[in-house]
Amino acid sequence: MTARIEVHGLGRQFGGRAAVEGLSFAVESGEVFGLLGPNGAGKTTTVRMLTGLLRPTSGTARVCDHGLGDGEALRRSVGLLTEQPGLYDRLTGRENLRFFIRLNELDEREAWPRAESYLRRFGLAGREDEPAGSYSKGMRQKLAIVRALVHDPEVLFLDEPTSGLDPEAARTVRDAVAELAADGRTIILCSHNLAEVERLCGRVAVVRTRLLAEGPISVLRRRGTVLEVRVEGEGTLAGAALAPLGVAWTAHGPLLRITLQEEHQGPDVVAALVRSGVRVRSVTPSARSLEDFYLELMRDADAEEAA
Amino acid sequence: MRFHWRRARAVAWKDGLDLRKNPGLVWSMFALPGVLVLVPTLMVWAWVRAPDEATFRAMALYYDPNFPRGASATRFLVDKVLTDWFGLFLLMPLFTPILIASQSVAGEKERRTLEPLLASPVTSAELVTGKSLAAVLPAVAISWVAFVAFCIAVDAVAWPLVHGPVLPNGLWLFGVGVVAPLYAFLGNGIAVLVSARVGEARLAQQLSALVILPLMGLVAGQLAGWLRAGTSYYALQGAVVLLLDVGLVVASIRFFDRDRLVSRWS
Repeated sequence: MTARIEVHGLGRQFGGRAAVEGLSFAVESGEVFGLLGPNGAGKTTTVRMLTGLLRPTSGTARVCDHGLGDGEALRRSVGLLTEQPGLYDRLTGRENLRFFIRLNELDEREAWPRAESYLRRFGLAGREDEPAGSYSKGMRQKLAIVRALVHDPEVLFLDEPTSGLDPEAARTVRDAVAELAADGRTIILCSHNLAEVERLCGRVAVVRTRLLAEGPISVLRRRGTVLEVRVEGEGTLAGAALAPLGVAWTAHGPLLRITLQEEHQGPDVVAALVRSGVRVRSVTPSARSLEDFYLELMRDADAEEAA
Repeated sequence: MRFHWRRARAVAWKDGLDLRKNPGLVWSMFALPGVLVLVPTLMVWAWVRAPDEATFRAMALYYDPNFPRGASATRFLVDKVLTDWFGLFLLMPLFTPILIASQSVAGEKERRTLEPLLASPVTSAELVTGKSLAAVLPAVAISWVAFVAFCIAVDAVAWPLVHGPVLPNGLWLFGVGVVAPLYAFLGNGIAVLVSARVGEARLAQQLSALVILPLMGLVAGQLAGWLRAGTSYYALQGAVVLLLDVGLVVASIRFFDRDRLVSRWS
């Protein structure tokens, strides 16, 4: 596997305010990589820097072996779906695509069949001669994805591809992205829809101006495994026995939810409860959802900033 | 960075297509030529139909104190209005590109199409060239068609007086062939530059339209008798406008910097 995107200490300031700071990560060829973060976290700014739209104020990056200063060559290698589809409403779907085929100086006889195949795959075949302004939101977003693909880019950046779509339209766009991922295309997916990221991405980076966490989703979810322990009597009383271990816990009646820092702390927790006389009825380890992990990361970041 | 004509042509093709599918804008482009052809034609028609030689002589003497005694004052005024009217006729090549370019540049921001466009390999110079072609070519074409219509209409109404064609003459041929395209580039350059700085097509149009004020001032000076219009007068105007055009092209390409546009408007 070779890295198609390598980012080292990337940063961008707007009028003295840092939108992105010290960002470093790498994305391998064929990977679907999620860029997660709340609104204003710097996801879009990062994508704009990596597609040559914005100049970084610090750090470096290479995308498809091109530096960020290689403007034209870089933009030939990447496809970008912006948050708003940005279609020319008076032009038909076909004319919208032809414009981008021409901007990329492609031979229309070769590029149009490729565009047509995507139109068929995304259910837009037969609608290409209608004005883009008459398309539904989902159709517009799918046409914008086809537009980002007409020049067959090595890397595809998708910025909030389902933002503002109704559930049905969002589903069709997600399915379209899943199909592209199945083709082995390198995709960077920016989103704050965690379920979507969990479904489509193998690895993620969580950003909030700076990088908060990065890794495979399965590994990140295991960080801080939750142990559900059912005890006899009140869970609150039993939880007091965990103080020496420094683990976080919550109690609801006889149910204790204990968040472990590391997975191997499980036996120590059970032993500590038993030693203090708690009668343990059942122990169930449960991996956290990406959402749990993400929210905890944000809380930690809030606490750190407040401190 | 090499300039790719194919990409500039693609931008011009798209803007031209978008323009043709915008009937409101197309109709508004034809309103001004209609007025600029009709008004002087009606003036000439009225003077030829009912010439008031005594009043016209007084007017002729105001503009030319050495106006010969036996000469036709009506003919003098017809020639005078046709010479001065060229100053107003220049409003057409100046204003039409403003209508188109402010829609095509600031309109890209409004419709959120700018970011996908800037994410393509097109360079700033190609983008400015393509957008300028899409605005300047229709403006020049409309001016030329309006000029042909004007010649036919004026010759038709002036025939009983002149017994021959009054237009085209050297001044108008030079003006429409050389000065008008330069003015079209000026209107386009200002609209592109203003559009790169503001976020709305309407605001870009309003600000860019202020460029007509100096031209109106010059025409007012001609009508007041302070400025004497002629081929050399319009040639001087053309030379000044050419310098402005060059400056505007350079400035437009600089202002079409991706980073600047995206960080300000996206």
